[in-house]
Amino acid sequence: MEGPERPASDRELLARLVAGDRDALAPLMERHNRRLYRIALGYVRDADEALDVVQETFVKAYLSAARFDPAAEVGAWLARIAVNQSIDVYRRRSRRRRTEEPLDPADHHAELASEGPSPERRVYGRELRDRVGRAVASLPEKQRAVFVLRHYDGRTLEEIARTLDLRVGTVKSSLHRAVRHVRQRLEAVRV
Amino acid sequence: MRLGHGRWREDVALLAAGVLPQADRPAVDAHVAACASCREDLGALRATLQAAAQDGVGEADLPIPLPALVTRVAAEIDARLLAPPVRRVFPVWACLSAAAVGVAAIAMMLASAAPRAGREAALAPPAEAPEMAVDGDALRRMEGLLARQQAARYLSAAQDVLVTVAALPKPCEGEHDHVDMEAEARRSRELLARRALLVDLSDPGVEPARPVLDDVESVLREVASLEGCARTRDVEVLHRDMERRHLLMKIQLMTRELAG
Repeated sequence: MEGPERPASDRELLARLVAGDRDALAPLMERHNRRLYRIALGYVRDADEALDVVQETFVKAYLSAARFDPAAEVGAWLARIAVNQSIDVYRRRSRRRRTEEPLDPADHHAELASEGPSPERRVYGRELRDRVGRAVASLPEKQRAVFVLRHYDGRTLEEIARTLDLRVGTVKSSLHRAVRHVRQRLEAVRV
Repeated sequence: MRLGHGRWREDVALLAAGVLPQADRPAVDAHVAACASCREDLGALRATLQAAAQDGVGEADLPIPLPALVTRVAAEIDARLLAPPVRRVFPVWACLSAAAVGVAAIAMMLASAAPRAGREAALAPPAEAPEMAVDGDALRRMEGLLARQQAARYLSAAQDVLVTVAALPKPCEGEHDHVDMEAEARRSRELLARRALLVDLSDPGVEPARPVLDDVESVLREVASLEGCARTRDVEVLHRDMERRHLLMKIQLMTRELAG
């Protein structure tokens, strides 16, 4: 009696996509959608734009599947597409804000104490999200990508290096600077 | 050789982030145990990362059902595959040939430059700089751009609703053969109410989108008329109608065209 069918590996799914089997897309998306969404959300800090990033990531993956290097890891390849797409979205948003809207005048350094009554946990959570978001958003591109992949995707230094096509030493120094920068920006938050 | 705490700062940060190489761990642990400053630094960095871990991103999930995303991706792939090909850069051999011709032409010009020098004085004076566009033209262009972007946003919002319809929403509890269309019906009504505000069909840039906008409106009206707990059969009819009209693909293409 035959056992249960083994689920197709990422490489097998990608090979099916290259062969034109559109049905291979859904299982690939099911496997990676959350991860990619968290990477995108960590980077662009906006749910709608993060969703667009994930959508575009899978579209690009489908359209460029034939160029995938079989020696590489599919997950890292998808993550790289997502990071690049996130960078594009963030740059476009920054350009739009410069030309269309004045920068948000909200004080990035407002002390919690000056914002009214002592916060309930719900308010504190929202403030924390905003502060973390601003702290991460203020990182330079490379540091932000490294921080997001480590902090929200749990990647090792070597995996981050492969995903971003960087040397491990560069990843180390970028992560070091990113962590210290985020600490500096969050200093006012009581943990 | 790094002096003072410089050599340790990066290692302490990597330790806090949980990525310090195992081989470096004994030395860093020993230093942190002996150095109050680095111990405090490590504690503060760990606290920072713990605080950052509470921002909710690590537990976030897609804001739409996965089948809806799959449908969107499929529609976008169709749209890209059917879109006219992007104007391609000339092939390398053509560029090199053109460059060679250009170099030869420049060489010939230089070779005959001396006898021609006298003719340079007869060059026509440069054309006068054009007058600056009047403000009205710039304003009309901006208004046109805004109208197209508004229409693109409207179509994108409609697409979100219709994608969920296409992906078949979750079943209603306790109702056999019925699906929960409450949210989609409400969003359709909202969009229809906002269409007049968002879509300016008098704008020449938006007018070509009229057929797609009309199609979208007719389907949104169908969705808006559904009960909160609608018969699965009725939703499937809508879905087939959308497929017949290739509506999702048309929305993708038109949204891209409007957004420029």
